[in-house]
Amino acid sequence: MAADGGGLDTVHGTECPTCGASVGETDRFCETCGAGLFEGLVPASSAQPPAPAPAGQRWLTSTGAPDACGGCGGTAFGPEGYCDDCGQRRPAGRNHSELDLGVIAAVSDLGHRHRHNEDAVAIGLLPGAEAAVVCDGVSSSTRPDAASYAAVDAAAEALLRALADGDEPEPALTVAARAAQAAAALAAGAEPGNNPPSCTFVAGVVTADEVSVGWVGDSRAYWLPDRDGDPAVLTADDSLAGQLAAAGVPLAEAPQGAQAGALVRWLGADARDTAPHLVTIRPDGPGRLLVCSDGLFRYRPAPAELAAATPAGTPIDTARSLVQLALDAGGQDNVTVAVLPYPAPESSQGATG
Amino acid sequence: MSEPAAAFTAEVYQNQYLPAGGDVVDAVITVTASGAGLRDVGGTPSAAEVIMIDCSGSMANPPTKLSEAKKACATAIDSLRDGVSFAIIAGRHDAQMVFPLVATLAPATPANKAAAKAAVQNLLAAGGTAIGQWLSLANTVFAGHPAEVKHAIMLTDGRNQHETAEQLAATLRNCERRFICDSRGVGADWVASELRTVASTLLGTADGLEDPRELPAAFRAMTEAAMGKAVAEATLRVWTPAGATVRFVKQAFPQVEDLTPRRTQVSARIGDYPTGAWGAESRDYHLSVQVQPGTVGEEVLAARVSLVTGDSVLAQSLVLATWTDDTALSTKINQRVAHYTGQAELASAIQEGLAARDAGDVETATSKLGRAVQLAEESGHSDTAKLLGRVVEVIDAPSGTIRLKPKVAGVDAELANVRSVKTIRVKKSEEG
Repeated sequence: MAADGGGLDTVHGTECPTCGASVGETDRFCETCGAGLFEGLVPASSAQPPAPAPAGQRWLTSTGAPDACGGCGGTAFGPEGYCDDCGQRRPAGRNHSELDLGVIAAVSDLGHRHRHNEDAVAIGLLPGAEAAVVCDGVSSSTRPDAASYAAVDAAAEALLRALADGDEPEPALTVAARAAQAAAALAAGAEPGNNPPSCTFVAGVVTADEVSVGWVGDSRAYWLPDRDGDPAVLTADDSLAGQLAAAGVPLAEAPQGAQAGALVRWLGADARDTAPHLVTIRPDGPGRLLVCSDGLFRYRPAPAELAAATPAGTPIDTARSLVQLALDAGGQDNVTVAVLPYPAPESSQGATG
Repeated sequence: MSEPAAAFTAEVYQNQYLPAGGDVVDAVITVTASGAGLRDVGGTPSAAEVIMIDCSGSMANPPTKLSEAKKACATAIDSLRDGVSFAIIAGRHDAQMVFPLVATLAPATPANKAAAKAAVQNLLAAGGTAIGQWLSLANTVFAGHPAEVKHAIMLTDGRNQHETAEQLAATLRNCERRFICDSRGVGADWVASELRTVASTLLGTADGLEDPRELPAAFRAMTEAAMGKAVAEATLRVWTPAGATVRFVKQAFPQVEDLTPRRTQVSARIGDYPTGAWGAESRDYHLSVQVQPGTVGEEVLAARVSLVTGDSVLAQSLVLATWTDDTALSTKINQRVAHYTGQAELASAIQEGLAARDAGDVETATSKLGRAVQLAEESGHSDTAKLLGRVVEVIDAPSGTIRLKPKVAGVDAELANVRSVKTIRVKKSEEG
């Protein structure tokens, strides 16, 4: 995903030495082939099992990588994350995750061009509230999945706790973003280096009468009404292009290319401005909130296009179908989407049963 | 946090991408020892030096050979650090201690250095040549001494005619890993293959000197290099995954040295290859591993290559294999791997071509030496190209079209042979 954060040391050229694609000068990995652009990188194996959920809530996360080697089933890995016996790389996250709580659902997939799924997603249900968090590892950082997997779990847990404690959605989203930032920063370890693990953050909360989203970076939330009103993107990307678009600069006049898409805010040890943007809407009628990574919306960026491509059906079927759409369109990046219908049911009993 | 200047680094150059079904992973590993931190690795190791100087009758013809050899010996003695132990051996059909008079090492004190130089000055040229005898005495002199770096210089001007090749080989087996030896030929009658065998087995270098007046500088360079060793003995440790086979491990720079048969098994997955002592220097290794073919998208660690001394890992790097259906990735040839594949072929082409020429097989000699000329031209190895030009008449270098010269000075062929293993590095500008 995201282009570089800017302001870091220029360490290599603008061409990937492996495949020749153009890369940002401080990218850690090539966006096209996934090759590391710096030598001596240590692949991540960061996923920790999630903490037990507080009573009365139910949540699922895409973190929790298998501990055994995918090649030989061995469990001993060298410090660089390769199996001591057969040399296979330790999986950093699951290549494909399907999270289904019935009422809400999410699907995440590796895509066709990447070797690690650096997108992480968690969904949760409380009586009267649905929540989803998506974090997308910034490929220009070191071990981005270390940040995204840690952040998503910390955020989901904090978000659900805050909501369970009676916080309004927006303050709860702020707490969640803070928890995500702390976890992403910790993922850098004792020696963060000059390009520590980084990720984006987007979270949505759907209640009986509101849809709230909070974000840092360029992952998005879309509001897709069933009947009334127009589809809309609720987030504004934390990129130069995104900021100009949010300020009303017409697309034709906006700058193009890598610089325009360069991320200006993110979470991680080197992130300074990490308070989430917050938006709340009170929809007139039922609809769905999509919380997604750019691996999906790069293929249908306009809200109307995305709405047209989003089939009706159960949330898990809808999520699967959207991920498949991205894969069929090329699957250039990891692709993740969570589907949260509005309004939230008054109780989550039906969902959990 | 500031880190100490790294003493050793290991960099890998490879194309890690394999097509579906591909199972051979080639990589060039550049190991470099440098910087202020080098001395901190284990402190300056203690050293011992033995110089074997040919005193056969032919050294008096012309007399400059012996007189320059004496000067060279004195220069080497002057280059010895305080605290180093040393000995001088005179080589003929047997071997005799010159200094000290008994088969042991003496400390390099000013008095001992002066006495040694005086003893060298009195040497006379008389007798034959039995290199194995000299090395055997050197081995005895070194034996039991606690010095960490044991280095020897062996100078000869002729064929090893007073013992059999088998006797020399047996002696070399006894000396292997006991000390390092650089071998040098002077004059017109030394035999390249003998010098290379000694240097190769004893992890040193081999060369020939056309002019005896080059000897003092050569001896100084060898002694100073030995005195500059910071790590007495290091091995290249190679881990490979289950089901993988090491096809070969070669030193590729500064000279070609096939280490494959010298593997010492450490565990089921790990083998060690000797590399000798290290000063501030840089060497390249070419590793080729056959792995179990993976499925597209899979990434495996094909080898972990480390330079190890005792229990400490000085530098380490990873050789990866990733299977892809993107042929743009899998068909890319790594420049350094290709370059060293060519340099190794160049060395064999010269050696095989010269051997065929000696055996009177003009056809094979012309074909092999033609290929050598072509490879030297392609890789820009101008030193080797020049040496080949003394043995063959080059008609068209790019196509490798040559004619054998009817009359060639013996030393020209031996020089081409002894230097056939010397390689050059790929030019930075040519790397893609």
